[in-house]
Amino acid sequence: MTSKTMRPDDRKYFESHEWAKQDGDAVIIGITDFAVAALSNGNDSDLVYCDLPEPGRELAQGETFGEIESVKAVSDLNSPVAGEVLEINHKIEEHLEILARDPWNEGWMIRVKPTSKNWASEKLMSAAEYEKFLEAQKH
Amino acid sequence: MELWRRISTYGASPEFNMGLDQALLETPEAPPTLRLYTWEPDTLSLGYFQRFTDVPRATEAGAIVRRITGGGAIHHVRELTFSLSCSLEHRLYAGPIGESYARIHRAIAAALAEFGVRAELRGERALGSDVEGTGMCFHHSTDLDLVWDDKKGVGSAQRRKAGRVLHHGSIKLGTSPLEGDIATLERYATLEPEDFAPVLLAAFERELGIRTRPAAPELDEREYARQVGPGYRAERFVHRR
Repeated sequence: MTSKTMRPDDRKYFESHEWAKQDGDAVIIGITDFAVAALSNGNDSDLVYCDLPEPGRELAQGETFGEIESVKAVSDLNSPVAGEVLEINHKIEEHLEILARDPWNEGWMIRVKPTSKNWASEKLMSAAEYEKFLEAQKH
Repeated sequence: MELWRRISTYGASPEFNMGLDQALLETPEAPPTLRLYTWEPDTLSLGYFQRFTDVPRATEAGAIVRRITGGGAIHHVRELTFSLSCSLEHRLYAGPIGESYARIHRAIAAALAEFGVRAELRGERALGSDVEGTGMCFHHSTDLDLVWDDKKGVGSAQRRKAGRVLHHGSIKLGTSPLEGDIATLERYATLEPEDFAPVLLAAFERELGIRTRPAAPELDEREYARQVGPGYRAERFVHRR
């Protein structure tokens, strides 16, 4: 975290409220606190089901890689980065309350091998830009 | 005042009903649309992620589909079903998800009030209609649900996809053997869905600050519905979990 923004600036943000962070040669992907809050109704147990892809699947940027169900909505999970799914976080499938507690680290969803090493420059926002994006959505 | 499209399709097939809702959700340029509909034959719809085996009496309904929205199973009979589809950026969906439910339920409560029903959000209490082990939506309640007579009377769920939202709702005019002792309008008025529809419509217009114009689905929406609709009733999708 930095003093300028509320959200971690060690990663990039996507317009549908997912984040992507470099992890060695791979990129890990999750959803933001805003996405979790938007789907929830104030309880850690509001998220009830999450469907994640099989490793090996090729994803285009923006492609739906999974779905998440809260007590009152099913939403798509979209990949901020093009690449191949290497690993999924099985832990959150059984313990979705992790997403409410720590969407930034423990709550990562998938690990992908990016198609491009320059993935971070493609249609993604910095933490500060994401803050502005959220602020603009309020109006 | 903001103009919405209104599509009424009574007695349509389950596959058409689900296919058209998908078309309304996934057509980016589709105007905000309120849809009012009923089902023929009577149909049980499973929630998107629900296990088939979690609904032990599913096969007693005339047909079975799996919805695009989550939650529990609903037996679509003696009810008015509606869907609201529009951009996620619409003021109806501003803020956390609970706020959009509150707005929509306020309109439904206003329509019910015209028949003397005092419907309110459940809040923190148990209901007489809560039943374990049936997998039915009306037997499982959350604090956002609209209730009266200490029972759940409206089933609702949302699907959010590519910047758009589809909100499904089922308002019970009577019950069914699969749903049993739930809140319905029957105690207050004997109504057909077509009789309740104008009252609900007027309440939506008033409470949401919109006007609606009657319309038929566009040709491309009908085509898309015909294309994807059968998938909702297909064995592979119904039994996918």
